[in-house]
Amino acid sequence: MTEVASELGLLVRELEISRAWLVDPCADREGPGEIVVRDGRLEAVTWLDEADGAGIEPDGVIVVPGFIDLHAHFREPGFEDAETVASGLAAAAHGGFTTVCAMANTDPPIDDASVLGRVQSAAAASGSPVELLAYGALTAGRRGDSLAALGELSDAGAIGFSDDGAPIRSPSILRNGLLYAGMLGRLVVDHAEDPALTDGAEANEGLVATVLGLRGWPAAAEAGPVGRGLAILADVLRDEPRARLHFTHLSTGAALELVRAAKAAGLPVTCDVTPHHLALTDTWIAGARDWAWQAEIDPWLGTVQDADPFDSTLRVNPPLRDRADAQACLAGLLDGTADAVATDHAPHTRVDKAVEFGLAANGISGIETAIGILLAAVDAGKLPLRRAIGALTAGPAGILAAGGWAGTRGLVEGAPANLVVIDRSDTWRVDAGSLRSKGKNSPLLGRELPGRVLLTVAGGRLAYEA
Amino acid sequence: MTAAPPEQGTGGPAAVVPMALPVPSVDAAPASQPSPWPHRHLLDLDVVSWPEIELVMRTAEAMKEVLARPIARVPALRGTGVTILFYEASTRTRVSFEVAAKNLSADVVNIAAASSSVSKGESLVDTIRTVEALGARMIVIRHATSGAANLAAEHFSGSVLNGGDGWHAHPSQALLDLFTLRERLPGGSLHGRKVVILGDVLHSRVARSNIWSLTAAGADLWLCGPATLLRGFERWAASSADVPGHGRFQVTSDIGRALRDADVIMALRLQRERMAAGLLPSVREYAARYGLNLERLGLARPDALVMHPGPMNEGVEIAPEVADHPRSVITDQVTNGVAVRMALLYLLAGAAANDD
Repeated sequence: MTEVASELGLLVRELEISRAWLVDPCADREGPGEIVVRDGRLEAVTWLDEADGAGIEPDGVIVVPGFIDLHAHFREPGFEDAETVASGLAAAAHGGFTTVCAMANTDPPIDDASVLGRVQSAAAASGSPVELLAYGALTAGRRGDSLAALGELSDAGAIGFSDDGAPIRSPSILRNGLLYAGMLGRLVVDHAEDPALTDGAEANEGLVATVLGLRGWPAAAEAGPVGRGLAILADVLRDEPRARLHFTHLSTGAALELVRAAKAAGLPVTCDVTPHHLALTDTWIAGARDWAWQAEIDPWLGTVQDADPFDSTLRVNPPLRDRADAQACLAGLLDGTADAVATDHAPHTRVDKAVEFGLAANGISGIETAIGILLAAVDAGKLPLRRAIGALTAGPAGILAAGGWAGTRGLVEGAPANLVVIDRSDTWRVDAGSLRSKGKNSPLLGRELPGRVLLTVAGGRLAYEA
Repeated sequence: MTAAPPEQGTGGPAAVVPMALPVPSVDAAPASQPSPWPHRHLLDLDVVSWPEIELVMRTAEAMKEVLARPIARVPALRGTGVTILFYEASTRTRVSFEVAAKNLSADVVNIAAASSSVSKGESLVDTIRTVEALGARMIVIRHATSGAANLAAEHFSGSVLNGGDGWHAHPSQALLDLFTLRERLPGGSLHGRKVVILGDVLHSRVARSNIWSLTAAGADLWLCGPATLLRGFERWAASSADVPGHGRFQVTSDIGRALRDADVIMALRLQRERMAAGLLPSVREYAARYGLNLERLGLARPDALVMHPGPMNEGVEIAPEVADHPRSVITDQVTNGVAVRMALLYLLAGAAANDD
């Protein structure tokens, strides 16, 4: 790899990566190759034939399109002690992301164009080349009573609408919101949770919650609203064929099965799963910290407790589920039921997490560890590399394109370079110092993750360099 | 992980444990214990082995002997600051710990912290650090949130003794229950005895901690109550059903089946908010179907013992005639609570001293 010859935020004048493993899920292709970036443009993508590419393996340096995160919380305005747009974008670049969709649950929420403008200004002021997109709230104040300023938000560049974090209680508001957003050609992103079933809930309803005495969070609280949303979508489509519904952070086999059936029936529905829901389980709360795809363990029968129980970094909404659900998330990713992996990056201050488990703020700081978790699944033979990368690139790109996004999809010659260079032969240690996010609330602190990001180029400019 | 219960033997579990832990001389300083207690904190019983539980039992026997003295006091914890930090209203447990600590000559500070201090901005971690700065070496904590004692332990350099956290654990209660049963059951062993925990298991930290200790003692444990108050426990029972050496128990809503030939019945308190939460139709229906009355007591063995962790709702989960029955050991539980808590404070002080 030649010197990048640039500083963070500046155009990449010249970059040549020869003899790397290229993965471009947007072209459904991977193999040995070379790339050349000049003056920020991806000048050449060369796929090597078998003879020239001999000895180049997918476990060395790989070059992939820049990642797209459909779901992140950057906390600005309102909660700048947890994250700012600038620190969030730096964390994103460290995680290999070149496009991030920020959620609207700021204070004030992004429910009108002025707040959206403030977020966009913060992104511009940060100097980060990572593309920041933002959702508008679906309802005014995210209160669920009446629609937010959807048209004005759309005109100002909102990529879609979501009340994420606040379940939409009223089926009528969801129905009207889907119809109105469909008219605008924008997505609705639904956080599927029935609050009547999760009032006071602390952890997935199952063995771990029972033994630890944590209030159970049933799977039905997710599958119920997913079923409701699909029925409403089918209804709305009769009036507005452009209506699109996306379920974010699905965590249960039951909900994924509903989406699978709806897709088979031709409904325009998409969904994402998070890295933590497919790799971590509720047994982590009991102190037994194996990846979900490793051999099943009962934390009270195992010989080793990896950590103390009740670690509040594991409190997240939806909760970490059991092994069967985590496997269902992985299976959904493998068969395409889940279109994308989204991080639900949810940074919190130490103060908001250094409390009793049930009182801790929900969320995991996860935008920097997403690729490492997926590569751990790849290394374990549970996920093909191309599918892992596709879930962070082609998958979310397709969903955003349906909502009017016109960014580059894949390694496209002549387009502004959006790419990530990862050394798969190296690992990195997750700790408070290595995370760029202000939110150090990661259950992976102290753990080595495979695949070190060496370089992230976003829009032709240098976003991160190891 | 709780150690395997002994498979047989009438001499009690100690007979098959190769080397029972030696019992300390409770008149001496805790640090001089012949075989130090290995846990700095007592948060739950899942990590306490059977020989360690036996050590608590024998130490509590020695404490009971202290309690029988004209001056029921030993100098073991002289100069040791013990803070009793209760975030939930409690008379029985708080006073029991206070008496236990004073009998060991500890310097006791009582804090009745309203849970509203959370909303006032004082976090549990703040409070723990403050209590430590004020000289506490041991904290007994009671809190409405599961895992609160674990959080306290994480931020305290001394010893934390869990006095009940949320629905999670109440280890001193389970140990005093075990102590009382060993004292009252013929042969002094729980092995093979049918023990029924009856009532609101779902919300009960007493039930959860008793699952660990009673199965470790080799009891034939049954959990019984209406299905809405047993949610999840069938799965727990199933997860340990086929594992050799692991505590196994049964779960049923059929009270007749549960009580038939029982040796011990432990009734749990039913709180009235369970009705408001839609878990039960009415107090009346609960009392009629699951209340422990004389007729139901007749299903159990003639010498069956009746327990209740208190405070009781007489006429709801337990009939007054049963609570006052000659086979009721409810007041023994209270008396033994002091001895067992003295033993725990003593053993934890030894562990902390040997840590330093």
